[in-house]
Amino acid sequence: MNSNRILNIVLAAYVGAIFTFVFAPILFSVIFSFNSQRFPTIPLGSFSTEWYVKILNDPDIWQAALNSLIVSSSTAVIATILGFCTAYSDFRYNFRFKGPYLALILLPPTIPLIIMALAMLAWLSKLGMSGQLWSIVLAHSVLTAPFAMAIIRLRLNQMDPDLESASWNLGGSEWATMRYVIIPFCKPAIISGLCLAAAVSFDEFAVSWFVSGLNKTLPVVILEIVQGNIDPQVNAIGTFVFLISMSLVILAQIFFVYRQMKSTNT
Amino acid sequence: MPTKKSQKIDIYAMTWRLPIIIWQLLFFVGPVIFMIAMSFFLVKNYRMTEAFEFINWSKMFSKNYFWDSYFYTVTIASISTILAMLLAFPASFALAFKASEKIRRWAIFLLIIPFFTSYLVRTFSWFVILSEKGVVNALLGYIGLGPFTMLNTNFGTLVGYMTLTLPLVVILQTITMANIDKTLIEAARNLGCKPLSTIWRVIIPLSKTGLIVAAIFCFILSFGDFVAPFYLGGSQEPTLPILILDTTKSGQQWPRAAVVAIVMMITLFTVAFIGIALAYRKKASK
Amino acid sequence: MTKPLVVLKNVQKLFGDFVAVKALNLEIHEGEFLAIMGPSGCGKTTTLRMLAGLEEPSTGEIYMNDQVMNKVKPHERDTPLVWQSLALFPFLTVIENVEFGLKMRGINKSERKRRALEWLEKLDIIEFADRDISTLSGGQKQRVALARSLVLEPKILLLDEPLSALDAHLVIRMQAVLVQLQRELGITFVYVTHSQSEAFAMADRVVIMGNGEISQVGTPKDIYRSPQNKFVAEFVGRNNILSGTVFDLTNFGAHIKTVSGTFSVSLKTDKLLKGQEASFVISADLVHLSGSNPEAENSVHCKLISEEFVGSMVTLFLEDKSDQEFKVQMQERELSKFDLKPGSDIWLSWSAQSAHLLNVN
Repeated sequence: MNSNRILNIVLAAYVGAIFTFVFAPILFSVIFSFNSQRFPTIPLGSFSTEWYVKILNDPDIWQAALNSLIVSSSTAVIATILGFCTAYSDFRYNFRFKGPYLALILLPPTIPLIIMALAMLAWLSKLGMSGQLWSIVLAHSVLTAPFAMAIIRLRLNQMDPDLESASWNLGGSEWATMRYVIIPFCKPAIISGLCLAAAVSFDEFAVSWFVSGLNKTLPVVILEIVQGNIDPQVNAIGTFVFLISMSLVILAQIFFVYRQMKSTNT
Repeated sequence: MPTKKSQKIDIYAMTWRLPIIIWQLLFFVGPVIFMIAMSFFLVKNYRMTEAFEFINWSKMFSKNYFWDSYFYTVTIASISTILAMLLAFPASFALAFKASEKIRRWAIFLLIIPFFTSYLVRTFSWFVILSEKGVVNALLGYIGLGPFTMLNTNFGTLVGYMTLTLPLVVILQTITMANIDKTLIEAARNLGCKPLSTIWRVIIPLSKTGLIVAAIFCFILSFGDFVAPFYLGGSQEPTLPILILDTTKSGQQWPRAAVVAIVMMITLFTVAFIGIALAYRKKASK
Repeated sequence: MTKPLVVLKNVQKLFGDFVAVKALNLEIHEGEFLAIMGPSGCGKTTTLRMLAGLEEPSTGEIYMNDQVMNKVKPHERDTPLVWQSLALFPFLTVIENVEFGLKMRGINKSERKRRALEWLEKLDIIEFADRDISTLSGGQKQRVALARSLVLEPKILLLDEPLSALDAHLVIRMQAVLVQLQRELGITFVYVTHSQSEAFAMADRVVIMGNGEISQVGTPKDIYRSPQNKFVAEFVGRNNILSGTVFDLTNFGAHIKTVSGTFSVSLKTDKLLKGQEASFVISADLVHLSGSNPEAENSVHCKLISEEFVGSMVTLFLEDKSDQEFKVQMQERELSKFDLKPGSDIWLSWSAQSAHLLNVN
């Protein structure tokens, strides 16, 4: 009994250590971003917003942030539309080659980004479509559609299978049923999907770096600063990026979990 | 669902089915196939011309640096996989068997967060923390140790890999083990199985599939990552992703980069295939 | 009951190799309350879904008002269905649910609202009009589902086990509501259920289905008193079924020899041959008890196995020497005349007129 308690304490401490390891870089990045030192260490320097002031006055950063916003929001819309179509097809229909069909959408995230980046760069250059902001959007939509698909598919699983038939039975055509039943039912998952796809796209750097040409997004700017040297600006940008990603993820969670609770009461 | 016998094309069904097929053929299958084709193209005077030659393949395969890089990448990705699996296991074990359902849900939610935060920023943060005068060395200095050189070493690379893979591995291991039928474990304990041998003889065999899937993902992530070996490992010994990066960005040798990428993909498919075969193999007689 | 509103002609439905419904012939009349009853998997729900157009018959035709309906899409029909799962739209309010069908028919907003409110009023749920579906009780949801279908003012309403999720006391209340609605509106109800009490309590006619086929069609009384075959007799449940061979034929009927003895059955039109196998049933409420040998024509000596009380009714389960099971149903106060405990000996008897011969098939 006693040794069991000691074991439990040791295990709890170990879990704590793992979480510390996972969250230390995120935490330190935020701390360093408010630290006056150029080479941050312990003991910490004084509190400073110097790095934020610096990035706020840098037009390149503003441009990159704008680019990131455009890319991630466009990506989110395309990826969610694609994800929705696929999730609905999977939910509603059985057809030949459904396995390969699903593999087609689910496979991209398992391929290393550097390979996707090279393949996208080569292919889009061949088609004369590289070096633009929307080149990144094309590539990101392929990478993020599976996330949207998964979350919408889970939502459809919660739907009473009679709901769609009930709408037909009441005089709704298939199209009207899509508009007035399926989409409203999936709305929370669609919003979650949009947020998740946007968050993934917002952080992606490898593919963006390869295909973007001169149109840099925030992660690409970070990549280039980091290549130079230690520059705490990165922490400030990182904290900003982190805040945006986290808000998106938490929004996604809220929409998904909230509706889930509501629908289980039905 | 109404059964449709008519051979007429169902416009409604196709509206939902076709977009992803067209999109993925254009922007996923297309790029991958083109990359394979590109590995046979020629580069003359920094210009790529379409051809069907094996020169890129023979050039790459005859270079020692390619093979060095290949074996180094396989080795360090394997070490990373083993390390992540071992480091994660006690934590996953505790979360699966000791923690309450509520704590487990929260832990998994927290571990999902890193996926949506910039890996680059986290790597840069480690770069600062692990540097010669960074936080870790400063702390060690208080107890009279160090300073240690942690950047530009394999240790640095592995810290980066762990940052990337540990959250996912812990999540997958925890979910797998939490799904084991608890009565089987109690039965083993009742029959006199000691705790450690319960883990070895009951828990691990029962969660084999999930553990192998976790390991495969871990290998794929480590094998394909260029950030950790580049920034934390100092690319002393370039991994394959760094090779792709250098060949594409500075060398303008896209066909050769394609060769490296294809070799990587074949390696990953092989590893995944062996892993899945192992996971679903019927249990050998014992 | 005038001309048939719906005719099913040799309707068959296959799912792959599985025959869900085989060669169904049925006429459904205007203004009748028809129950389709049978055990799960008998094809009753498939039949209903074919009426709603959610399944297309593999062969045969379905006519409504003399028109072939086979290819007509569900949304082009006027056959609203009340679902077993209710299938209310969880993201809409009560009134929006009721308005849904009208909206799909392109009726303008004010008209929609007027008609929806009228039906909410009729079904006594108007106070919940703006509530979320998830806040309603089972019985209230049931009424919303009914209002949602009836607001379309159809000629025929399909109901798929609509009361199966409700508590027993609510079931009785809703039965009364349904019967009253049907009488008032004068429209056809096709009511699918596995519950005898629901079907018998409400329906004008009952269709008993088994293995994708119709076993018997008739009024509840017909089915109860004169089951045509063993399947129906067993399904109805309150029957004692005895099987044997024809021993002797007389002017009044037949003597049938079974393991429990030889019993007389009065025949009406059925023709039997001596030596032929035959089964007959005696309704459990037509069997009499007596403490000593009644010396009657049809009697059996039994042992009480168990009793089951439902309200003031009691069902006795008994067994004779040859392990043949018997059921007797009676008022509880009649039972008190006998001092019975499980294991007690008792005599059963019935008149030859109570015994009903089953078709051989």
